[in-house]
Amino acid sequence: MSANVQSVSTPRSGENSWWYLVKIVTGVLLVVLLGIHLVVNHFIGQHGLLTYADIVAYYQNPIIPIMEICFLAVVVIHALTGLRGILLDLKPSRPILQVMDAVMVIVGVVAVAYGTWLILVIKSRG
Amino acid sequence: MSEKWNIILKVLRQKQGETSHFDEYKMDADPDEYVLDVVERVWAFKDRTVCFRHACHHSTCGACGMRVNDAEKLTCITYIREVTRDGGTLKVEPLRNFPVVSDLVVDMGSLYRRLEAVGARSVLPAPEAEIEKPPSRWSSDDEQYIRLADCIECGLCISACPAAATSSDYLGPAVLAGAQANGLKLNPELLNMVDSEDGVWRCHSAFECTAVCPSFVDPARRIMDLRTQIFKERVGGLFRKA
Amino acid sequence: MIWRLKVDTQHNRPSPSKFWNWFNPVGRQTSGWAFMLQRVTALGLTFYLFLHLIILGQLANGPQGYDSFIALVSSPVWIAGELLVVAAAFLHGLNGIRIILTTFGVSVTRQKQLFYILMVLALIIIVIFGIHMFTA
Repeated sequence: MSANVQSVSTPRSGENSWWYLVKIVTGVLLVVLLGIHLVVNHFIGQHGLLTYADIVAYYQNPIIPIMEICFLAVVVIHALTGLRGILLDLKPSRPILQVMDAVMVIVGVVAVAYGTWLILVIKSRG
Repeated sequence: MSEKWNIILKVLRQKQGETSHFDEYKMDADPDEYVLDVVERVWAFKDRTVCFRHACHHSTCGACGMRVNDAEKLTCITYIREVTRDGGTLKVEPLRNFPVVSDLVVDMGSLYRRLEAVGARSVLPAPEAEIEKPPSRWSSDDEQYIRLADCIECGLCISACPAAATSSDYLGPAVLAGAQANGLKLNPELLNMVDSEDGVWRCHSAFECTAVCPSFVDPARRIMDLRTQIFKERVGGLFRKA
Repeated sequence: MIWRLKVDTQHNRPSPSKFWNWFNPVGRQTSGWAFMLQRVTALGLTFYLFLHLIILGQLANGPQGYDSFIALVSSPVWIAGELLVVAAAFLHGLNGIRIILTTFGVSVTRQKQLFYILMVLALIIIVIFGIHMFTA
């Protein structure tokens, strides 16, 4: 009983309007960027970029690596903040939430760094 | 002479510390009577140990909310005809997401405490109430009239909400709707309360609350309005400061 | 007749262990199905995103590694899996637009109709992708 009263008076701030804003801004960007990504990878040429040579050639246009790196960052942020929202529904304790947040930051940074490295490697092979 | 249907009423039974089970009762029912009437007849003539909550029998007190054939219903206004057929079964269970006290009775204390915490009003001045066709202009004379708030605190929305199933701290649709009616602009404390993990952001737009609400509160629309209000205060606030 | 269920009086309280209830379709409205769809596709797409990034690491191994990998996943079964990802992306994205609109009070009372319109749109796109992916 008392636990309930307390939860009313001191709401937990694990999520707020800024988190949600990040989710919807990246979401809108993704509709555009993922749309481009899917069309490029399935409709360019016969069936999209299917060979190693095609991909390397595609990345020689300077705008493509920039767009792909932005796309990568946006999709990783959207995925991780979205996953965080789902996990918050499971009411994690504060210490667990802190660990969760740290893991997500690390995963996000590693994913974007790794992807950027891969994109630059592909571009350099042209 | 009214119509007579034979139905099987399955009631989820559960006393403190016991495992739950369904009891079945063969009942004669008029398709134009209400589910609550049939439950009451079980208690009156078949089994005096069946526990259920009821008071006004005309959708004002919000006591008789139950799960009827897997959907939340205010049983005092739910016709038998709407939920089963002649020879059919009627499965009656307690509301979800509230602890069971006995059989169909759940403890809704958390809902009432939260409604109080957000300052949800049971009556509003007439000009503040949401009505279908408001006059183009309220006169100062209208201020003296008050109107009952639409929410009857029956808890159906919290039972229907998928997000409420996992987090006991979620304020829930009825409470957020109560907060919305107060407005956030002059309530920084309320703004902090609903702009939180257990406030409007726990809502994931399943709109189940609005579907089951027997009193036209439309909690989902009010939650969405709260979100718009929050963005106006938070994001708009940045520009006002600058 | 009596059915015995193995639950106690606590079973009705909200609990993280009841996450399956998110995906329980019994008694759900159209919008409830939309919620389930959004959550299932969210989890699926997140899983695929990281899988995709790891697999693309093959590109660093040069043409031999990557082209033999592509040859491996060019069978209809793999293409069907790929189409599933494309479908999830469009369903999630288009339903996401509905969620954003309703958040700002747009079409809240017409969200069900909006859902149907967006899902028809998604279906058309998925069929176009499907036809293209399965035909030479």
